[in-house]
Amino acid sequence: MTPAVGVDPGEHAALERVWRDRTGLWGWLTSTEHKSIGKRYIITAFVFFLLGGLNAGLMRAQLARPENGLIGPDRYNQLFTVHGTTMMFLFAVPIMTAMGLYFVPLMVGARNVAFPRLNAYGYWVYLIGGTFLYVQLLLNTGPDTGWFSYVPLAGPGFSPGKRVDTWAQTVTFTEIAALVGAVELIVTIFKNRAPGMSLNRMPLFVWAMLVMAFMILFAMPWVASATLFLAMDRLIGTHLFNPAEGGDALLWQHLFWFFGHPEVYIIFVPALGMVSEIVSTFTRRPVFGYPAMVLSLITTGFLSFSLWVHHMFVTGIPELGSSFFTAASFMIAIPTGIQIFCWIATIWAGRPRLTVPFLFILGFVVTFMIGGFSGVMIASVPYDQQAHDTYFIVAHLHYVLLGGGVFPLFGAFYFWYPKITGRLLSERLGRWHFALWFIGVNLTFFPMHLLGLRGMPRRVYTYLPETGWGPLNLLATIGAVIVVLSVVLFLVNVALSRWKGSEAGENPWDAPTLEWGTTSPPPSYNFAYVPVVEGRSALWDRSPDHPVVTGLRTDMREVLVTTLLDAEPDHRHRHPQSTVWPLLTALSTGVLFITLVYTPWGLVIGIVPLTISFIGWGWPTERDHQEQLREEAAA
Amino acid sequence: MRTGRTLIDVSRLPTATFGPRDMMWWGTAGFIMIEGTTLFICAATYFYLRLNFGTWPPQHTLRPSLLWPTVQVVLMALSNGPNLLLQRAARALDLNGVRRWVLLEAILCVVFVALRWQEFLSLNVRWDANAYGSIAWATVGLHATLLVLQALETLVFTTFLFSDRIEEKHFSDAYDSAFYWYFMTGSWVVLYVVVFLGPRFM
Repeated sequence: MTPAVGVDPGEHAALERVWRDRTGLWGWLTSTEHKSIGKRYIITAFVFFLLGGLNAGLMRAQLARPENGLIGPDRYNQLFTVHGTTMMFLFAVPIMTAMGLYFVPLMVGARNVAFPRLNAYGYWVYLIGGTFLYVQLLLNTGPDTGWFSYVPLAGPGFSPGKRVDTWAQTVTFTEIAALVGAVELIVTIFKNRAPGMSLNRMPLFVWAMLVMAFMILFAMPWVASATLFLAMDRLIGTHLFNPAEGGDALLWQHLFWFFGHPEVYIIFVPALGMVSEIVSTFTRRPVFGYPAMVLSLITTGFLSFSLWVHHMFVTGIPELGSSFFTAASFMIAIPTGIQIFCWIATIWAGRPRLTVPFLFILGFVVTFMIGGFSGVMIASVPYDQQAHDTYFIVAHLHYVLLGGGVFPLFGAFYFWYPKITGRLLSERLGRWHFALWFIGVNLTFFPMHLLGLRGMPRRVYTYLPETGWGPLNLLATIGAVIVVLSVVLFLVNVALSRWKGSEAGENPWDAPTLEWGTTSPPPSYNFAYVPVVEGRSALWDRSPDHPVVTGLRTDMREVLVTTLLDAEPDHRHRHPQSTVWPLLTALSTGVLFITLVYTPWGLVIGIVPLTISFIGWGWPTERDHQEQLREEAAA
Repeated sequence: MRTGRTLIDVSRLPTATFGPRDMMWWGTAGFIMIEGTTLFICAATYFYLRLNFGTWPPQHTLRPSLLWPTVQVVLMALSNGPNLLLQRAARALDLNGVRRWVLLEAILCVVFVALRWQEFLSLNVRWDANAYGSIAWATVGLHATLLVLQALETLVFTTFLFSDRIEEKHFSDAYDSAFYWYFMTGSWVVLYVVVFLGPRFM
């Protein structure tokens, strides 16, 4: 890799020698670099998106006409369970975390994430968990009780066998990955920001990732506990969800939705950050109302923990409780509305460029608002009781998640692809992708509102012709075909542009954030000299002489640690080397969890390799490595 | 030749710090938040399930015995004295002090794991007897998992501390280990009250 303009070649060579991973397969397996891990995380999550989409495509094919015989009820149950589990646990949360793990260190001017080994471990655990789920699906033993696996259906009485255990352990793998990713992001944001980037100068995407990370920290333990309790009920005969012995089926719903509702915002909040960065760049002005935007993100994070019972309105909870959660559900519209008005004000006062990322943001506003309106409808108890478990809810949740999550994500792909690869995606193919995606999503999911209003229940593998649901289902399936076409176009665009796309240069969009201040793709060390930040729009506000930090060592991995509030330089920190231990620890974790699906003795079997790998990971070998590096340099 | 002028030279900044200045402290705090939330969920579930029973513990179920759990909780509370001394020794870069107190912590960890076994027996109920037994075992078991992990980590760290490879940053690691210990013991005091004293008052 060539050095960035203005970087001394000798210094570049020294930094590359210290920071770059080894080459070849071993280098790939042992990498702890955030860009390498982030890239494979993004690709893996997108592969799971395609697999989840394939599940959905099969379901749509089955539902295209009444009494269709393409897929039987058992396979259909597995498909909708694995589809939901994939999209929520293997695609949406991981890809948002992955975008943060790739871009946050670059956006705050850091050289890597705070705990790079933990980062690698998180990725491997996630990969093992996702693979485990799909192996089970291919073996026709995939989970079949829905992505939320309600008890008593998911309990040992009604779901014997190992299907639900597979689901529970898959979720456990992804929880671990999400939790370690969250800790990474929080510490990187708190302690590794470039000098001058005080909290009130952080890019809005970084704020969004910070809020998301804290939400993961407090939401994921709920589903972790729920799945642990479920696994215990199934494996060792506890009675936590068994009413016959004093357990409680509704307890499952409380535990699950106390996680499950924030989960939606864990996906949505990072997307808000992406929207802000794209809107700012393509209107060529800072986002209007920065404090209001930050406070809205934080408020959304807090409010998201007070809504979970609106998933349980038909369970017979007291009316007073229902009223409270209705009010809380309405309230979430306030911070979201503030942000939408701030973006409109930004666009109004700026000079918008209708590039593909910007088109996806406009698509987001329209689609997400439709999802928001139906959300306000079902926040009302009387209406929810009618719409519950019908296709109206399927329509609503897809409008919210695709509108609020995937539209901004596609925009972010077009926006940041040049930074990751050094090449721009084709605008022409991108516009076709956007148009087909926008039409396909609306054609697929809008008819589902009407199907729900006409009484079509969720999770049925077929229906009778007399119901009259056939034409709208066919329309939805045609929409799904258009969605598939749009995604294929995107993949073609990604593949073609990777080799033939125009050279991007450092900052093709003239964007304001720090990641655009280094080469595309960035070097292993990110920045030769840690930049000094002089305003909220780091690149737009910097002095012509580009002030930087010097004094970090170039003969070993060393990073700058700054203070939490004002990002003042505090101390230097020796950064750990790449190593194979995170991979070995993840494999040991896999052995432990997967064996536990089949026998409680898995705990005993799995604990031995896990202990060994933890010791290997933790045993300090840094000094040996530094000495080796110095000897190499001297030679 | 370089991109910009040097505004800040950091070459004289220290390479090891303690507490919230240090990244590892924040990492530890992050895991405390995760584990603390999980233990909180156990306690919340305990109270939630209580509502399903007329009496607590349920009829024909013995109350937990108090002897060993009380010994455990008192010892855990007292262990914060040496723990404080460990933090002081770490801050003072006093290697002998750190070795002494970490060794004591390691021994205490082993004692606490052994006592935890007695605590399981003191519950006087099996995990599969009823929901009361299930949540009591789950709560004690989850804290036990953290305790075993802490014991393993402390044993490995102690072994390392007696090698000749100690650097300044390892004092900071010892400080953070002590910081985590406050969480382990503090959370257990609360859970002891819930699981072992609770059935006498609820």
